[in-house]
Amino acid sequence: MSGAALRTRAGEPSAGAAHKGLLAWVASVDHKQIGIMYMLSSLLFFAIGGIEALLIRIQLAVPNNHFLGPDTFNQIFTMHGTTMIFLVVMPMLAGMSIYAIPLMIGARDVAFPRLNAMSFWLQLFAGILLYFSFFAGGAPNAGWFSYAPLSEPAFSISNGLTYWVLALTCLGISSIAGAINMIVTIVTLRVQGQTIRRLPLFVWMTLVNSFLILMALPVLNGALVMLLADRLMNSQIFAPAFGGSALLWQHYFWGFGHPEVYIMILPAFGMISEVIPVFSGKPIYGYGFVAASTVAIAFLSFTVWAHHMFAVGMGHVYDLFFVFTSMSIAVPTGVKIFNWTVTLYHGRIRFTTSMMFALGFIAMFTIGGLTGVSFAVIPIDWQLTDTYYLVAHFHYVLFGGTALAIFAGLYYWFPKMSGRMLNERLGKWHFWLTLIGFNLTFFLMHPLGMMGMPRRVYTYPDLPGWMILNLISTIGAFILLASVLVFLWNVYLSLTSGEVAGDNPWDAWTLEWATSSPPPPENFTLVPPVHGRRPLWDLKHPDRADERMAAEG
Amino acid sequence: MRKAKLAVSLFILSEANFFLLLIIAYVFYHSYPGPGPTAATALNPLRTGLFSILLFASSATMLMAASSYRARAHRATLAWLVLTVVLGGLFLSGQALEYVGLYEHGVAVNRNLFATTFFTLTGFHGLHVFIGLVAIAIVAGLAASHRLVGSEREADAFEAVGIYWHFVDAVWVVIFAIVYLWAIL
Amino acid sequence: MSGVPTLNPFSPEAVSIYHLFVAILLVMLAIFTLVATLMTVAIVRYRDREGAADARQEFGNPRLEMIWTAVPALLLVVIFVFTVRTIHASDPPVAGRTPDLRVIGHQWWWEADYLGSGVVTANEIHIPVGRPILIDVESADVIHDFWVPELGRKIDAIPGHPNHIWISADKPGAYLGTCAEFCGNQHAWMRILVIAQTPADFAAWQHDQLAVPAVPVAGAAAQGAQIFRDQTCINCHTVAGTLGNQRIGPDLTHLAQRSTIAAGAAANTPDNLLKWLEDPNSIKPETHMPNFQLSDAQAHALVAYMETLK
Ligand code: HEA
Ligand code: HEA
Ligand code: HEC
Ligand code: CUA
Ligand SMILES: [Cu+2]
Repeated sequence: MSGAALRTRAGEPSAGAAHKGLLAWVASVDHKQIGIMYMLSSLLFFAIGGIEALLIRIQLAVPNNHFLGPDTFNQIFTMHGTTMIFLVVMPMLAGMSIYAIPLMIGARDVAFPRLNAMSFWLQLFAGILLYFSFFAGGAPNAGWFSYAPLSEPAFSISNGLTYWVLALTCLGISSIAGAINMIVTIVTLRVQGQTIRRLPLFVWMTLVNSFLILMALPVLNGALVMLLADRLMNSQIFAPAFGGSALLWQHYFWGFGHPEVYIMILPAFGMISEVIPVFSGKPIYGYGFVAASTVAIAFLSFTVWAHHMFAVGMGHVYDLFFVFTSMSIAVPTGVKIFNWTVTLYHGRIRFTTSMMFALGFIAMFTIGGLTGVSFAVIPIDWQLTDTYYLVAHFHYVLFGGTALAIFAGLYYWFPKMSGRMLNERLGKWHFWLTLIGFNLTFFLMHPLGMMGMPRRVYTYPDLPGWMILNLISTIGAFILLASVLVFLWNVYLSLTSGEVAGDNPWDAWTLEWATSSPPPPENFTLVPPVHGRRPLWDLKHPDRADERMAAEG
Repeated sequence: MRKAKLAVSLFILSEANFFLLLIIAYVFYHSYPGPGPTAATALNPLRTGLFSILLFASSATMLMAASSYRARAHRATLAWLVLTVVLGGLFLSGQALEYVGLYEHGVAVNRNLFATTFFTLTGFHGLHVFIGLVAIAIVAGLAASHRLVGSEREADAFEAVGIYWHFVDAVWVVIFAIVYLWAIL
Repeated sequence: MSGVPTLNPFSPEAVSIYHLFVAILLVMLAIFTLVATLMTVAIVRYRDREGAADARQEFGNPRLEMIWTAVPALLLVVIFVFTVRTIHASDPPVAGRTPDLRVIGHQWWWEADYLGSGVVTANEIHIPVGRPILIDVESADVIHDFWVPELGRKIDAIPGHPNHIWISADKPGAYLGTCAEFCGNQHAWMRILVIAQTPADFAAWQHDQLAVPAVPVAGAAAQGAQIFRDQTCINCHTVAGTLGNQRIGPDLTHLAQRSTIAAGAAANTPDNLLKWLEDPNSIKPETHMPNFQLSDAQAHALVAYMETLK
């Protein structure tokens, strides 16, 4: 989707007004343009990370395959994981918040537009830096959590890991700056009348999520600078051969890594909490519970990190603590699942593509969550950790969860961003191809793990059943490719010839739908009064305004 | 609502976590000492203590600067800011001296785990002090060239710088206790 | 479920995990069915169609929501209790027992040292059936992970952090295991074979492991022995009764008895041995076993020698 095509509709960019064409984007400090640039860079890296995934699947399609050598394979899956998490999901979620949130709180822009631009360009730079490693002696090859001592210079001589450390440090700084920006924006720039308890749930969850980022990313950065010291100043913090500790790195990394996985799901929860009510025609069921459970999840997420280390032999007492905390997280998450599902009841459900992705999300995420709980049951983890059962778990939560939610959100907000509707028929194709391809690719990884197939192997012996399951999974991956291409085609069609959206195509209730699509540079000519959680509903049904109905019970 | 102040407070929150990690590493290896220099053998708590007092004093002078700024006493403000920068600068030079001394005794960052964790911890703190000094110097520069207009945004920024500086001092209190006092106890 | 080791346990430890796992799988299935049914019903009954009732504007019902907070919580308490029970069954305490066996992970093969008995072997571990064996798991370089699914849990082999694991097998047989923690280029080919034998067979095996293979005196094998000495093989490998006593590579004293070479990368046949010696990378790319550019004659001689290492 060409920048220019979007720009003309996005109206004259505020800051870059002097500039024309691409330059208007490069020089822009407007949250709408920066948000869109975030999403575009995320899509670009999704293509790259996806192609890496396809390479992985081709290599694993048949046993004893020689398509990729071991070292290449290790670089590919490391880059795939790192790319998908740090260059696809995080920027996409950041971009969607940066675009939507000022609109949803009736603000003109984020609190610090220049800082906002800095965050974006820094993350793009980091992405390029990471991929430059391919031309500088080889990409990182120690997995997305680069366990020491494999990541120490003694065992990883190529510079790849050093690039990995530097890139992730930049991404950390960029994310922290972005989180600060988000919090200040939400706290200080809300339109008059929009109290904290009236925040749209997407805004609310992004607020909580920003605090998670604020607390978790510095942990990553701290660990990274120490690893960098080991790599560049040959110190030995994580090098057991010299008295360092390999486990310290694991505690550090997962002290960041687990909160990180919730950082990747909370905004997704937020989008689902916007989409489901709108297309059910009724408010979210139990706003209080949904909002509060988010805070509970955020707190708990800092107490579970060592459930990624159940196999290191910590001792049963420690193990049990993390078993307990990990299981606890299922409760607030369950609350959300049930509240979303019950929101459907007594509604009038419109099956737009956005809604279908949201419903798909609930089902697929539940599967991923449940396998997550099976890992919290530590003896099961002792059998299945680092097998394909784990690969299945995290793709069910990350793709079946986060990615489906992102698609739901994109179909929901695209008309606002571009002023054009996405084609619903292609949308349905996109949805079904995704759902089928996704389950073909990942469901059979559960049995594969139970059969004992470890993760991160570049090839495997021809044991009974292994080949067929892997082959099916590979086929599924190519169906996913088709689904993504349908989506890109849909976006292209819409931008060139999509039907005009109008201000509020879904008749939704939050403030962003009160302005034109796409919104003018200053966002609002006037912001409607806010007396409840659904200002536009109140406008439309003054007799049945939320506050009154809530009061009546 | 004061944007800059809020932003800096949040930034401090994340910085605190960053230092927490460096401190954990230091403490962790302090309790598993390897061969070679240790805090007890290599450091000079007394001298560093004196320089630390200068740093703490600079927090006080920063407070004075803030109050005289609120009192619109621009010349006093300037004076206090300059004094703050000087004190901070002295602290940094003290740290530089210390590092030189350590290197001369062969205590380099890759000597052993004490050295590594000591240099990463104190080094990153020094970096933060330096950044703070730059920020304060800028404010001082504005004051010197009579550009302080006492606007809402300016006051906000002024306080933000102050908060950051007090944070840097507070972190040093912790570091000094853990690295230097613990060594002599 | 013969094809699925985790559902096909052969030791008390593995059995205890298996029971818990099946139970949890059923609980998960039940929960998913519940959520799926709730969704399907809603989708069918409340979809937007001609004459469908308007959406009812309801804001929630704290009492109901408390229920679906509390019920999962209670369920998890139950699961927690069973977890604690199984932890002790599947990972019994060491209780001061001295380990029978030390297994050391190397990039990318396993060294097995039968403590006290003087028996050292590689990649293929023999145990007597019916007797729990306590293994001391260590690493020579990076983190590896010892996992034989049919015999129970896995445990990391971490440099500077020795671990323990119990294994036992109820029936004689060969149980395939693998390194389960990513450890570099050949993580894929770092397999373990646990061979459980009747106590008598095991004793016999241990006995002839201690036997020193006769150094061949004539023919290709003798040349091979010569080459083995000259080509610095002895700088890395041990063959009892020769100068070779290093542990950088697998102990080769009884190589000919093993069913695979290079940690499962290939069957232990003369042809594969030849390929291996002429170019280890052709069998196991990036392996730490160097390529000696041996002449065909040398390689054949070495293979002849290796074949005598019974
Ligand atoms: C979006 C990201 C995301 C999310 C949301 C989750 C959610 C959860 N994860 Fe997952 N996890 C990952 C991403 C995520 N995970 C990744 C990437 C890894 C692998 C890292 C790597 O090694 O590469 C991982 C690995 C991982 C492990 C380590 C496995 C190992 O390495 O050995 C564990 C162990 O406890 C775990 C547990 C959980 C739990 C308990 C949840 C819970 O939050 C799930 C809660 C949800 C539900 C339970 C479903 C809905 C609830 C109900 C319907 C109520 C009723 C339910 C019950 C009563 C059970 N995860
Ligand atoms: C959000 C995160 C995310 C997402 C979306 C995905 C998506 C996919 N992943 Fe995942 N994956 C991870 C996160 C993610 N992954 C992580 C964290 C790891 C662990 C890494 C590690 O162990 O360190 C991992 C590891 C991992 C493995 C295990 C590797 C191993 O252990 O050896 C596998 C194997 O099948 C796999 C497969 C896939 C597939 C088939 C997809 C598919 O869903 C991809 C579908 C997308 C596409 C197919 C892209 C479409 C292509 C285009 C749009 C390009 C078109 C344009 C042009 C042609 C110019 N991934
Ligand atoms: C630099 C050290 C080194 C030297 C020298 C060396 N090897 Fe090896 N060898 C290894 C390592 C390491 C392995 C294990 C490789 C693997 O499985 O990844 C190995 C494996 C083997 C194996 C397979 C053993 C098994 O059970 O899997 C044989 C046979 C072998 N070497 C023979 C030789 C011969 C013959 C020579 C001399 C010509 C030789 N090695 C020289 C390091 C060495
Ligand atoms: Cu050793 Cu993986
Ligand atoms: Cu986790």
